[in-house]
Amino acid sequence: MRTIKLPDTIKLPTLLDPWDQQEPSGPDATGIYNFYRNLAEGDLTTTKCKDCGKMNFPPTMLCSNCLSNNLEWVKIPEEGELYAFSVMALGVPLIIDTYAPFVVAIARFGDYPENGVQISGIIFDSKYEELKIGDKVKWEVIEIQGPGEKKRYWYCFRKI
Amino acid sequence: MRNVALVAGGITKFGVREASWKDLVQEAGKAVFEDCPNLDRKDIDSLIVGASQPERWVYQTHVAPLVAELLGIDVRRVIARTEVACASGQAAIRYAWLSIATGLSDVALVLGVEKMNTKFMDVSQTCMVNVGNREFDGPNGFTAPPFFAMVAQRHMHEYGTTNEQLAMIRVKNAKYGALNPYAQFQKEVTVEKVLGSRMISPPLTLLDCSAMTDGAAAVILASEERAKELTDTPVWVLGGAQSVLHAHTVNQMGELSEWLGLREAAKEFYSLTKLEPEKIDIAEVHDCFTISEIIEYEELGFCKKGEGGKFIEEGQSYIGGKVAVNPSGGLLSNGHPLGATGIRQAWEVLMQFRGDVPKGRYVDGAKVAIAHNLSGMAQLHHIMGYSIEKPKELKFGR
Ligand SMILES: [Zn+2]
Repeated sequence: MRTIKLPDTIKLPTLLDPWDQQEPSGPDATGIYNFYRNLAEGDLTTTKCKDCGKMNFPPTMLCSNCLSNNLEWVKIPEEGELYAFSVMALGVPLIIDTYAPFVVAIARFGDYPENGVQISGIIFDSKYEELKIGDKVKWEVIEIQGPGEKKRYWYCFRKI
Repeated sequence: MRNVALVAGGITKFGVREASWKDLVQEAGKAVFEDCPNLDRKDIDSLIVGASQPERWVYQTHVAPLVAELLGIDVRRVIARTEVACASGQAAIRYAWLSIATGLSDVALVLGVEKMNTKFMDVSQTCMVNVGNREFDGPNGFTAPPFFAMVAQRHMHEYGTTNEQLAMIRVKNAKYGALNPYAQFQKEVTVEKVLGSRMISPPLTLLDCSAMTDGAAAVILASEERAKELTDTPVWVLGGAQSVLHAHTVNQMGELSEWLGLREAAKEFYSLTKLEPEKIDIAEVHDCFTISEIIEYEELGFCKKGEGGKFIEEGQSYIGGKVAVNPSGGLLSNGHPLGATGIRQAWEVLMQFRGDVPKGRYVDGAKVAIAHNLSGMAQLHHIMGYSIEKPKELKFGR
């Protein structure tokens, strides 16, 4: 009987890798590659519309408020306020499951919604019990290592 | 526009099933055909399949033709698959209704199915982050439980809703679920049991959450003319509304305790159907988490904003109260196979109006029902209305 041999290990499917678009060293698979380049430089940024003034998040190539392509990159204010938080313990996305349980949060930076953003983030260094709505938080850039030699960047929140 | 009726329904047992996606399709298909002995399968001219992530959970795409093959149906008018995550089911009903009302289709089979319990549960769970923005909220672990936990936290913060009130939702839905032989969970619970169950994402415990479920449900819709030939007990479609308010990522959601999308869909629905919240006898609503049902009371207009907790505490959403909410046991008891849920809700309405449900969860004398199905992080809402009485005039516009 003919035998077909399958590989011993199967590569991490890209669909389970939330940062599959991010290659700070290139090639750039996304029009918003500046977002990832800026993260690599230590800055959490987004796009702001030069025509209507709306700060968008996530960054995009087109302002969804007025359809202008006239956008600029702006740094998200470093200090913000904790809006809501809970704990991720079960059913954690595979790529970050080794860190569970951890606090997941929504924080507001700048003057939301007029001129600011409301974004999600993980808080690694505080327990749920240590937090309350309205706490001051800041974002900080983190390095994602692997698989292999890959080095990419993301952000998390920290209570001030 | 032509009147459209639900003429038959079929459902599988919901739960962790030792059955494949295809097995579930055939099980629900057989059930719906058995429910409609006057129907020749050749009469079905349209098929709409509600399915959320078959590509991820069972690695199968192009599923509508597969369902046609599995059930031996030749489609000559409309065939499609709908995908709006947890609300894929009602979307399928909505488009079948639209197709029949406009005269394109005469008899449509609508089938919703999901196989969520797989050999690789970690992969299945990971796929849930794709419902939100996978590139921006996904890496932060934004699946439904922590997100709805934050919704609950904000509702408690703004309106003083309590853990006990959340638990009371589960107690009510478990009471009715215990009388539903198709439900994944058929046991009554107490407030203490809910509060004491395993913490998932505070303030939500295990019993505040619906489950990952395998299951399928099917209904047949028909034009007025065909409905008369197919059944003596049609259930008429009154109309529907659907909304998404420019929201997918957390940044666009504004205040988590305010479901403006549902408020807008409800306004549209009441305006199109000339209904008022007081006229609704049965509401099958999307209780993916206990907090969801509380906010739905408010946004659907059953009580004032912020008083959803009080509404359940006073027992107003029990059978015999102001409106019977989730007499099926809801998603909390039935489980939540994403693509099947919206169709299970319609199936429940059909069975209620026919009187084909066990005593104890039968809403006696009910004439008007709604089904509300939402998706993702409550970004999308739709509502459909059903009645035992034929509407005089069906209009899509105002
Ligand atoms: Zn703009």
